[in-house]
Amino acid sequence: MKIDRRSFLSFVIGGAAGTALSPLPWKLTDDIAIWSQNWPWTPVPQKGEVSYLNSTCTLCPGGCGILVRKVGERVVKLEGMEGHPVNDGGLCTLGLAGTQLLYGPTRVKTPLKKVNGAWRKISWNAAIAEIVEKLSDLRSKGLPHTVACISGSDRGTVPELFNRFLTVYGSPNFMRTSSIQDSYELTLFLTQGVRAMAGFDVANADFILSFGSGLIEGWESPVYMFRAKSTLRENGGRMDQIEPRLSKTAAKSDKWIAISPGTEGALALGLAHVIIKEKLYNKKFVDTYTSGFEAHKKLVIDGYPPDIVSKITGVDTATITALAKDFARARKPLAICGRGKGYIPGSLQEFLAIHTLNALVGNINQTGGIWAVPEPDYISWPEVEMDKIASNGLQQERVDGAGSKAYPYARYLLGRLPEVINSSQDSPIQVLFVTTANPMYAMPDTQAVAKAFEKIPFVVSFSSFLDETAVNADLILPNHVFLERYEDVPAAHGFPKPIIGLARPVIEPLFNTQHSGDVIIQIANELGGPIADAFPWDSYDACLEETLADKWDALVEDGYWSDEVFSAADWSTAFETDSAKFEFTNEDIESLPRYNPLKAKGDEAHYPLVLIPYDSMRLASGHIGSPPFLIKSVEDYILTANDVLVEVNPATANEYGLKDGKYAFLRTPKGNARVKVRVFDGIMPGLVAIPRGLGHTAFGRFLAGKGVHYNALIGPVEDPASGHDAAWGIRAKLSKT
Amino acid sequence: MEKENSKKFGMVIDLDKCTGCGSCMVACMAENNIPFREDETDKLLSVSWMHVYRLTNVKPFPDTEECYLPRPCQHCEGHHGHSPCVSVCPATATDYDMDTGIVSQIYTRCFGCRYCMAACPYHVRQFNWWDPLWPDGMEKSLNPNVSVRMRGVVEKCSFCIHRYQLAKDQAYMEGRREIEEDEYQTACTQACPAGAITFGDLNNPKHAVYQMVKPDKKNGGKPKNPKAFRLLERLGTNAKVYYLSSREWVRRAGDNYLKTEGQAKHA
Amino acid sequence: MDSALIPEGVKRCPTWQFIIWIGVVGAVMMWGVFAILLVYIKGLNQTNMNNAYGFALWIWADLTVIALGGGAFFTGFLRYIIGKDELKHIINYAVLIGFICYSSALLILGFDVGQPLRAWFIFWHANVHSMLTEVAFCLTCYFGVLCIEYLPLALENRQIDKVPFFHHLSHNMHEIMAVFAATGAFLSFFHQGSLGGVPGVMFGRPFGFREGVLIWPWTFFLFTWSAAAGGPCFTILITKITEKAVRKKLVKDNVIELLAKISGWMLVGYMVAKIIDTWYWAAFTAPSKGFTLMDFYANNPGSVYGIWILIAEIGVCGVLPALILITDKGRKNRIALFLAVLLAVLGVCLNRWVMVLQVLAVPVLTFENWAQYLPSWQEIATTILPVAYGIIMISLSYRYLPVFPQERELNPIEAPVSQTQEQLPEPETPPAGAEPEPSPSGS
Ligand SMILES: Nc1nc2c(c(=O)[nH]1)N[C@H]1C(S)=C(S)[C@@H](COP(=O)(O)OP(=O)(O)OC[C@H]3O[C@@H](n4cnc5c(=O)[nH]c(N)nc54)[C@H](O)[C@@H]3O)O[C@H]1N2
Ligand SMILES: Nc1nc2c(c(=O)[nH]1)N[C@H]1C(S)=C(S)[C@@H](COP(=O)(O)OP(=O)(O)OC[C@H]3O[C@@H](n4cnc5c(=O)[nH]c(N)nc54)[C@H](O)[C@@H]3O)O[C@H]1N2
Ligand code: SF4
Ligand code: SF4
Ligand code: SF4
Ligand code: SF4
Ligand code: SF4
Repeated sequence: MKIDRRSFLSFVIGGAAGTALSPLPWKLTDDIAIWSQNWPWTPVPQKGEVSYLNSTCTLCPGGCGILVRKVGERVVKLEGMEGHPVNDGGLCTLGLAGTQLLYGPTRVKTPLKKVNGAWRKISWNAAIAEIVEKLSDLRSKGLPHTVACISGSDRGTVPELFNRFLTVYGSPNFMRTSSIQDSYELTLFLTQGVRAMAGFDVANADFILSFGSGLIEGWESPVYMFRAKSTLRENGGRMDQIEPRLSKTAAKSDKWIAISPGTEGALALGLAHVIIKEKLYNKKFVDTYTSGFEAHKKLVIDGYPPDIVSKITGVDTATITALAKDFARARKPLAICGRGKGYIPGSLQEFLAIHTLNALVGNINQTGGIWAVPEPDYISWPEVEMDKIASNGLQQERVDGAGSKAYPYARYLLGRLPEVINSSQDSPIQVLFVTTANPMYAMPDTQAVAKAFEKIPFVVSFSSFLDETAVNADLILPNHVFLERYEDVPAAHGFPKPIIGLARPVIEPLFNTQHSGDVIIQIANELGGPIADAFPWDSYDACLEETLADKWDALVEDGYWSDEVFSAADWSTAFETDSAKFEFTNEDIESLPRYNPLKAKGDEAHYPLVLIPYDSMRLASGHIGSPPFLIKSVEDYILTANDVLVEVNPATANEYGLKDGKYAFLRTPKGNARVKVRVFDGIMPGLVAIPRGLGHTAFGRFLAGKGVHYNALIGPVEDPASGHDAAWGIRAKLSKT
Repeated sequence: MEKENSKKFGMVIDLDKCTGCGSCMVACMAENNIPFREDETDKLLSVSWMHVYRLTNVKPFPDTEECYLPRPCQHCEGHHGHSPCVSVCPATATDYDMDTGIVSQIYTRCFGCRYCMAACPYHVRQFNWWDPLWPDGMEKSLNPNVSVRMRGVVEKCSFCIHRYQLAKDQAYMEGRREIEEDEYQTACTQACPAGAITFGDLNNPKHAVYQMVKPDKKNGGKPKNPKAFRLLERLGTNAKVYYLSSREWVRRAGDNYLKTEGQAKHA
Repeated sequence: MDSALIPEGVKRCPTWQFIIWIGVVGAVMMWGVFAILLVYIKGLNQTNMNNAYGFALWIWADLTVIALGGGAFFTGFLRYIIGKDELKHIINYAVLIGFICYSSALLILGFDVGQPLRAWFIFWHANVHSMLTEVAFCLTCYFGVLCIEYLPLALENRQIDKVPFFHHLSHNMHEIMAVFAATGAFLSFFHQGSLGGVPGVMFGRPFGFREGVLIWPWTFFLFTWSAAAGGPCFTILITKITEKAVRKKLVKDNVIELLAKISGWMLVGYMVAKIIDTWYWAAFTAPSKGFTLMDFYANNPGSVYGIWILIAEIGVCGVLPALILITDKGRKNRIALFLAVLLAVLGVCLNRWVMVLQVLAVPVLTFENWAQYLPSWQEIATTILPVAYGIIMISLSYRYLPVFPQERELNPIEAPVSQTQEQLPEPETPPAGAEPEPSPSGS
């Protein structure tokens, strides 16, 4: 058949029409749409049996109870445990993002050894053998005291195992990371004669006077404080925040009193002046249960009248007087201190000045007051048998100087360590264990810390994550994360009652990790002799169960044990000082609360401004780096792309020609950084505020490189009264780029 | 239209209690499989079903005040279920459920025209500009009760409707027809450390939300509680999220007023 | 080379010149195609849209080309329904421009959505309450009508017309074109209106929201009206530009002036309605939601959204061209006429910009800020693509189809046209039967 144009065209048109009428195009269209609904690269979460397991969050010292939701063998969500005394169902951002730490890309998956600057996988046995060899060697040289350990906490079985190991091995150098815990413990010890933890009955107070404490920025046990603050509100209570910057806590307070940073202690003494002068103090308590009142009275009456205090603090006299009267007249007033989340121990005198306000109003160990909560005492292991090397080693003075003549009352002075190491020829520490701590990020003056760590020949990190310290260590012995291990959580910071939580494995460990407790037991066993004898347990889990004894069953069942009926000791028995009274001051210690200004580092001529840090619940600023959800939740006025925004008052911005959202150079005596400016009405003129928790160099692409690290811009300022770091800021200069 | 015993799920958020901590946001992310990217600082490109706004009284130092305002989907009822976003969707990919008052979103039906985004005055609706991808292993934490959304569709807060379905299934298995107030709570409500969020059935006098914003029949059904207000009430969105604040400037920031209009309704 | 395809009796540029021209414009088009591919493969993250600016350059381009394509339906309406017979000399071009505009609009919609592969859900899962559903249905139907309206012209190509089937098809289609014109006018009325309804029904967006009658907000009627007024201006504008480009007169002045006059009066009417609408909105609608007029315009950085927009839209690009077009002097003055249609077209563009984009920029929550937006290069490339495509379509149609019935008469190839001849009223060349359309067949 001859194909003419006509038949060709008919064929084409007919074919097209035929195809269109056939099911083919319609089926294809439908299939393509279905494909678009099921793209293979969009994950489909696997189904499975749902189960809930109770446990305890260990990501901060808050001690929240959690319910872990599992689907099959996957951990899908962490939720707050309802009815838990600390958090009753609530959870902070970090706890909620806990699954991202478990499954996140920054886990250390197997023991790692640094060889010529590069990480090499190593077996557990080889790693432990290496440590054992080092430790045996040092011991045989009579240098056991050159082994040290930095731990996030000194309470609970795991820190105690590390401490016990050091003791029986022969080193006094167990160090806890510093925080306001140090200052509060010292304050309670000096004024009340007790070794106790400070607990705050915020929920039952009716007037919280906070000297910069970030009650809703993660101070002490964050979720507990949030809840307590809401209860305070519900009960019609009041809260005033004394702080140079309109923090979230300040914003949520009834009154924000802006104060020159570092002068909080003076204000407290000024308030005491008014309270005493107007005879508004609790006479019953002061007359019967205190000593040293007259000296204190003389000090504040002579030295801290409102006009002088006003000059020091920048708070006007009317405010001082009114505040003092309101505070003293409240039924249950409570003064608290420790800036922000409380990472810096702070000035002991300031703590004493503020704590004595509570004494003046008689709100110590009372409902709605500050409580001395006994330290947990459930760990009663048999005394260790020490050999001669160990006893000799323990005779040595601690490297950080704690307990020495210069710092008689401090238990740990980790803050002094970098300085000590950097100023000695050879590092006084030969082997350093780091557990649940990230000192290379968390300590001020990052450069000096790095230099000191560089000098330590052998640093062993027990971190689950590739954090800054792990990255710079020589050996990493990765711990299970809290969802893969048992561990007791011996207290919740600031919680007014004794409570023990239990973290427990909700899934099999994902990687080749080991419980740090087991690792210490194994090291001890391999070292043999009295060291091995001090660790009679087969495993950490056995040790824990044995230690918790009669509490174990309740802990497994409920996830926590608490002493519900606990109440702090009665005034008649509460004070274990020489006078058996609350001591405003005493003869043998030079710790009369007074105000000796601790100056920020740097000279005013070069650095006209002052840099202060601030905290946010949306940024983890402790040893854990913020997981992706946290960074995602950070406000765009704090972080934009990789740039951090620093806050300045409009007047300051004007003075230095700084524009909102524009780049600027921030210089301090310790370092400099490129930042962006946020012009913010909620900050005093003359200050620059920067958030903590940014500027990580480790923790992977979701966190590293974002923003600037406050600790890289600041150095420690030693509190002459305690030896702890009391730096509240540093002088700074901010200039246009 | 609205059935006899239909429910009207809603929220009351106490701004006096809210601390701006962000737990509600993160709880929602974890519950609802919200994706994350390396840089999430451009909030207009970021997906977060709950967003906490920072409000200020725009006064200079030291009279500056701030307030934090968490904003889930307001599950607007509009007029007879014609919420701003639902009636505009050309493909019926979002719907107002007369039985629960929940504004749903069908990701597999949505074809990404974004008309609903334009129509929502609260910037609740967000678009998946990127493929949601999880670093290797992290997909293990995904919740199977909530589907992961593909690139190119709009998503928003669902009042955790899967929790309602689970609660109903549970009740059904136990031979009950109704669920209790505490059986269906949203993830954000549950997580809020300050107890600022209350969730429940606004039609049910036994529920806390009803008591908190009890309607005043004499005043057009507006809450009796003088601290209560809704966002952009005047637009007629008829939202089911109520806010409480004891501060006048905060309540006033909830809506637009002409300068000549003296004080907000609950002065 | 391609002379066999070129209509008889007209002169076209040499083939090589044409190929270079198409090549250059085609390259621009390919740039757009590349951008579209990027958008398809990587997604809408290739744009600078965001969750506040969910509608952006494309949707503006979409609404604008649809409005400007309105020349087709309105000219058809005047020609076939009202019986303005002179307009038959420009109707081809109006239809062609409409066809280009509408096919572009559909193309843009094809990549503007996040899930193009299921864009058909709009039909399958249609929501009768949605203005976009109405738009989608009417738009698609009307595009079909435009194809039918364009087809006879395409069939008039010298070679195609030789096939008797096509010759008769084309002939018969001309016969019933009035039916399609009426259908088109009806469909257009609705989808132009529905597009106006898009912002008008958004009661959460006080800048766009309008009260109205029944289910239609005033913007429904305003959009239809402005398309009817601005569309023909666009037809005139493109005709004038084409004449400049080919250096020939293609349509007689009386035809242009008639269309211009009608547009002018439409524009006057539209302006009266628009001013009343604006006043009512500013005086009643907005204040009832807590806004003053200046809340919508003032207080934003760089004044991108300043009150100048309203002044430009209503005054400079509305009232001014309307006044020019309704006066005899204005229409007769070539520069004034050109300026007037240009301004009217800009006015329509501006109106669509304001009604879809500024709506999104205005903060509604008191604690939000003005939204800012600058299109990405991918958006610009894809928006220029339809322009390039339109130029190619026009070039091809002009070269191979008898788009301008008056071209041969106005530009005789052999002898120059004499003055007297030009003044002759409507000399219909071939008396071939009762054909309503001038057939260039010559056969
Ligand atoms: N609103 C709404 N409507 C829907 C649907 C929806 O999702 N929403 N889904 C649709 C779909 S997919 C379906 S399949 C239908 C289902 O609709 P139906 O077929 O009406 O399903 P059931 O409600 O399960 O009712 C089945 C009946 O069979 C009875 N039955 C059970 N076992 C037996 C038996 O062995 N013998 C006999 N004779 N009776 C028995 C049960 O008691 C019950 O009364 O509903 C449709 N309708
Ligand atoms: N508890 C309980 N279980 C049942 C039954 C029951 O009565 N009770 N009935 C059984 C019966 S008979 C049936 S048929 C099944 C039905 O079970 P399913 O097939 O799971 O049906 P639906 O629950 O209606 O859920 C359909 C889902 O599809 C989504 N969807 C809607 N439109 C589209 C679309 O265009 N594309 C895509 N991809 N998704 C879309 C909806 O949002 C919804 O999430 O359930 C069975 N299981
Ligand atoms: S407050 Fe601390 S303990 Fe509680 S959830 Fe958050 S990180 Fe965990
Ligand atoms: S979790 Fe609660 S307190 Fe925190 S931001 Fe959300 S609503 Fe506010
Ligand atoms: S808040 Fe927005 S998305 Fe939610 S129902 Fe209302 S209009 Fe729709
Ligand atoms: S983006 Fe999706 S849900 Fe929104 S209107 Fe379009 S199709 Fe509907
Ligand atoms: S109700 Fe559920 S979906 Fe909505 S914001 Fe809260 S957690 Fe997210």
